[in-house]
Amino acid sequence: MVSVQYDEVGKKYGDTIAIEDVDLSVEDGEFTILLGPSGCGKTTTLRCLAGLTQPTSGRITLDGHDVTDIHPKNRNIAMVFQNFALYPHMSVRENIGYPLKVANVDADERRERVEQVAETLEIPELLDRDIANLSGGQQQRVALGRAIIRRPAVFLMDEPLANLDAKLKMSMRSRIKVLQREMDITTLYVTHDQEEAMSLGDKLVIMDKGHVQQIGAPDEVYHEPANRFVAGFIGSPSMNFVEVISEGDRIRAAGAPEAFDVRLNERVANRYRDHEEFTLGVRPQYFTVHTDRVENAVEATVEVTEPQGDEQIIDVEVGPDPLSITVVAPSTVNADRGETVWLTVEDELLHGFDHTTGDRIAETDDVERTSRASTSADTRS
Amino acid sequence: MTTEQDTPADTLPYKQPSRTEEWFETLSKYGVTKAIVYGLLGVFLVWTLFPIYWLVTATLKTRQTLLSFPPQWIPLDAQFGNFARLFAERPEFLTYIINSTLVTVVTTVLATTIGAMAAYAFVSFDYPYNLDFHLPFYILSTRFMPPIVTIIPLFVIFRNLGLVNTLQGLILVYTMFNIPFAVWMMKGFFEEVPESLVESAMIDGHTHIGAFFKIVLPLVKPGLVASAIFTTIITWNELLFAVILALNDNAITVPVGLASFVTKFSVQWINMSVAATIALAPVLVFAFVARQQLVRGFSMGAVGK
Repeated sequence: MVSVQYDEVGKKYGDTIAIEDVDLSVEDGEFTILLGPSGCGKTTTLRCLAGLTQPTSGRITLDGHDVTDIHPKNRNIAMVFQNFALYPHMSVRENIGYPLKVANVDADERRERVEQVAETLEIPELLDRDIANLSGGQQQRVALGRAIIRRPAVFLMDEPLANLDAKLKMSMRSRIKVLQREMDITTLYVTHDQEEAMSLGDKLVIMDKGHVQQIGAPDEVYHEPANRFVAGFIGSPSMNFVEVISEGDRIRAAGAPEAFDVRLNERVANRYRDHEEFTLGVRPQYFTVHTDRVENAVEATVEVTEPQGDEQIIDVEVGPDPLSITVVAPSTVNADRGETVWLTVEDELLHGFDHTTGDRIAETDDVERTSRASTSADTRS
Repeated sequence: MTTEQDTPADTLPYKQPSRTEEWFETLSKYGVTKAIVYGLLGVFLVWTLFPIYWLVTATLKTRQTLLSFPPQWIPLDAQFGNFARLFAERPEFLTYIINSTLVTVVTTVLATTIGAMAAYAFVSFDYPYNLDFHLPFYILSTRFMPPIVTIIPLFVIFRNLGLVNTLQGLILVYTMFNIPFAVWMMKGFFEEVPESLVESAMIDGHTHIGAFFKIVLPLVKPGLVASAIFTTIITWNELLFAVILALNDNAITVPVGLASFVTKFSVQWINMSVAATIALAPVLVFAFVARQQLVRGFSMGAVGK
């Protein structure tokens, strides 16, 4: 078990930047998730640690030892691939035991450890089957088994659940989390699925266009997104963004000042005094839908409703040059296509983002961003 | 309610079969189409297999019964002595068989090994200037020209190097001749092996070369077998280069030996049939034994994910 440290790691393919200036530290035993849309560089970041991709700049250390130029076979790392990468010409037993075979562990010990691992993963009955005859979920477990049998220092997973169906995904998710906790292995896990990321990780590393956008605990990135990208990427349905003009304690949509005109309470309004124009961000859950006219509400027309059981997702349009807004409401709210509803905003929970930089405008109840940055710098040294 | 009759055809929710389609349907109902298909297959079989039948039966006939008219379809008094007579009259034919075997085995091993390694290199490494696209094409292009074109310069070069009339010379030519095929055949197979398997093997503790031998090669076995069979067949049957480059018993191969039964004065039909049957046998047996691998090899997609 070791800690992992990325120092200004970058990878370029010709002129194309895959990742740039990635600074990241993963504590011993921590479950870290690299999260971002496809092509954001999260897999490249992971592959640099595995040694499968050679960074063009920066260095990677394991427990303070520079491993940037070490061959993958000499790093004490295990990896689970998205397609599982099981060896099709070997049985389950041979697959799980293969890392030990390469390491010249004798046959008796190998057999014993394969059986142990199979017990842990509840697949002892599969040991003598062929890989081709396994279902996706079973293959996934064999891949996990092959990864844990060596008791690696670091565990890497590249979208391990992406090829599984929804139900299996849920059960494998909890299994992976339990396994990681039990074995207490430093883990880096790549996914594009924010729900998976939130439920698994101790720490989320959100990436976009090759840059780290925010590093933080799941709650932190959800409630205190560093910028507009993180705010939009985390949360489902995604956050609504409206370009607004602030006028004293009122904010009005730049595109529809008559239709979207909300008065904020003073404390919230104070945050935005210095910003004449900014981007307002409100999660769909933070709107309340009324079917009757209420004070300080935005009038909207229902475009479509998507029932989700206990709640429903409602897409509404506001104003003449329609501004689309998504809200989540209890399923008891009776709204049909074409009807008029009134939306009120939980003003304490809304965010403002700088018009040009996209950074979130500071909120007084934030944990001080600067102090957090310095603590992470401390742990690094 | 409207019935089918009074609905215009173009508003029907399905397409009505045309007259031809109906006609075909009736034919297949009475087994006519099947009969035609089997009839055509029968003609094809006779067309391809009869020459071989004629060759093999000829080994059991005498010169008179072979050339008699009307032909004797089935040899009535089988002359098994023909086989012994060939080696009694032409003892050097045994040397030709040994030569051919040596040349074929060594060529097959060399061409398949070099071809496979080259193909893997093209598939899995990045080259500047798009060379991983251009080089395989260049390799293949060596097969574009008619082989006869290269024979004169090749003969001169070989004579100067002392390679004429040697098995090494033949092996060299045939290996060069078969590598392009092996490269292209194996390229398709290596492309099907997911890169993550190699990466996984490296993380499991292999070097890249180790991963190639332990993980990749076993997976492309059908491809290796198919290119080996193909190389074997081509090499075993090759006549053109052998005729020019092998002039005495040191290096003469079976096809050249076969051609030598046609002399200025006569054609030794029976000896030639016996020799040809012997030449035919190993390739047939080899291809038959490995036919399953061969089919998998040529249909690709053999690597399970």
